[in-house]
Amino acid sequence: MANGGESFRGALGEAALPVGIAVSSSERSEAPLRQAIRRLRKSTTAVIGVVIVAVLLLVALFADALAPQSPIANDQTQTFARPSWEHPLGSDQLGRDMLSRVIHGTRISLLVGVSSVLLALFVGVPFGLIAGYYGGRVDSVVMRAMDLILAFPIYLLAIILMVIFTPTAGLIGTMKVTGAIAIVRIPIYARLVRGSVLSIKEKEYIEASRALGVRDPAILARHVLPNCLAPIIVTTTLGIATSIIVEATLSFLGLGTQPPTPSWGWDLKANVSFIQANPWLSLFPGLAIFVTVLGFNLFGDGLRDALDPRLK
Amino acid sequence: MRTYILKRVIQIVPTVLMITFVVFVMMRSVPGDPVVSVLGDAYTEEDAIKAREAYGLDQPIVVQYVIWLGKLVQGDWGASILTGRPVLQDVLIRLPVTLELVVLSMVVALVIAVPAAIIGALRQNTWADYTATTAAMIGVSIPEFFIGVLLLLGFSIGLGGLLPSSGWVYLPGTCPSIVCSASLWGNTLHVLMPAFALGVGRAAILTRLLRASMLEVIRSEYVTTARAKGLSERPVVFKHALKNALIPTVTVMGLQVGFLIGGAIVVETLFAMPGLGTFGIDAIIARDYQQVQGFALITALAFVVINLLVDLTYTFLDPRIRYA
Repeated sequence: MANGGESFRGALGEAALPVGIAVSSSERSEAPLRQAIRRLRKSTTAVIGVVIVAVLLLVALFADALAPQSPIANDQTQTFARPSWEHPLGSDQLGRDMLSRVIHGTRISLLVGVSSVLLALFVGVPFGLIAGYYGGRVDSVVMRAMDLILAFPIYLLAIILMVIFTPTAGLIGTMKVTGAIAIVRIPIYARLVRGSVLSIKEKEYIEASRALGVRDPAILARHVLPNCLAPIIVTTTLGIATSIIVEATLSFLGLGTQPPTPSWGWDLKANVSFIQANPWLSLFPGLAIFVTVLGFNLFGDGLRDALDPRLK
Repeated sequence: MRTYILKRVIQIVPTVLMITFVVFVMMRSVPGDPVVSVLGDAYTEEDAIKAREAYGLDQPIVVQYVIWLGKLVQGDWGASILTGRPVLQDVLIRLPVTLELVVLSMVVALVIAVPAAIIGALRQNTWADYTATTAAMIGVSIPEFFIGVLLLLGFSIGLGGLLPSSGWVYLPGTCPSIVCSASLWGNTLHVLMPAFALGVGRAAILTRLLRASMLEVIRSEYVTTARAKGLSERPVVFKHALKNALIPTVTVMGLQVGFLIGGAIVVETLFAMPGLGTFGIDAIIARDYQQVQGFALITALAFVVINLLVDLTYTFLDPRIRYA
């Protein structure tokens, strides 16, 4: 089952080596990074991805200024308005401006997508480092716990977690979704990092550090971790895309952030019932999800090619 | 080989036990009490205690699980707390719907992906390749329910109701009651959009993986040898290249099963299909413990069986792989 991931990780892990060898000297470690950025800039699709992500971040940051109206203000006189100057994307069954909802929905989507992946990273990476570095009983306890999560079909686990957390609106509701998605993603990082650490810890420079009396935490932080970075970065970028889809899916099933907080998945589902008369209402939240996921996927693909040209 | 399969089948047992046990514990930690919704307006504390006793909900969780397991071994999947219907009966009625959806979506995925990947790999960096890779990139970025909405807009609304937007017509012979309709033609019309909605994403992932491994295989020495000895292109591509390229692809497709289950839930919800996905999500939201256990059991079984099949596919694709 892990074969595909193993070979993927192995190739990336090796590619990260030049970064690691030069790790003690900040001058020399910049070179591979610059190389990667140069390669990234040469790829048209990656640049498109970066631009999409940058624009979305700006939209999320300045949503209040950009949205023409409040995303949650009902207007009973304006229900199901067709697209017009006042409502460029129309309005929904409560008369809420769809453009404003789509703009504000960017916040939930990006917030959940990015923070769930980062949360999973901050928990999963230390687990993987410790399991891989110390091996033995520590390794089997940590990895059995990770296998327990991995043994679940991801959506079954995420859905039940959301039912336990009971979905709510607002920031708290968003944090619940973030937590549920982070939990199902933790083992991905633990496995990824553990695999890299297993090969890195046998290298001479680690042995040299140990011989010099460097303590384990320092070795892990300064010598082992930097060598696992390339696959971590790629997994994180592509993971954001996946997390945004999972968030939209949970929302679509009514288990994401609850209304009135604008969420693309929920808006799409709510308006499917009215698709016959108001086809555009489901279209725009769906397009927003698609463009966002596409942006992170293009960016992530570009990063992978840039960090490991041999994989191309 | 036979001992290997036997060993793997035995290994299925602890995994299924673990998944069902964790789901069991998790569902019982969901805030709220299903007895409240069973009794509804007639709720009194006295009745609630009686009802909890009747369903065995007053026992410790582990005892409850062992009781559930004991009945399961005898073929009793329990009965829904809310409707009183036997869970196994509902699962068996809904299983064919989901199976049809999933199998057809995989057919859709293969029919799109295999030609796209081969053309992409053989004509690397031509417009045909760019079209295939761009389409695949778009495909992996669209969630199933949005593809479903686009299909609805195109074929249910746009083309004047060419395809039905929701509901289900059973395959002849699978109709669970006298009120439902069954016909091959009606079934085909109903399953087309859901199967595409679920299949397109899988097709995109498959295209990307298969194209990449085809590119690697095509440059290998044995393909050059096959060409050098005068084989025509067709056997070179299909027998030598494709078969070997499929190995890593099958592995990753096996890992996709977890997503496929989520996809089935979403697509069944969107098209209001009476399958296992809608059964599961409704049960989880209603906290119908027994139905959720039935859903978890069938999902866990599907999950481990598909992963076993993936491993067994290797021996077919590469006879050097032997399981002792």
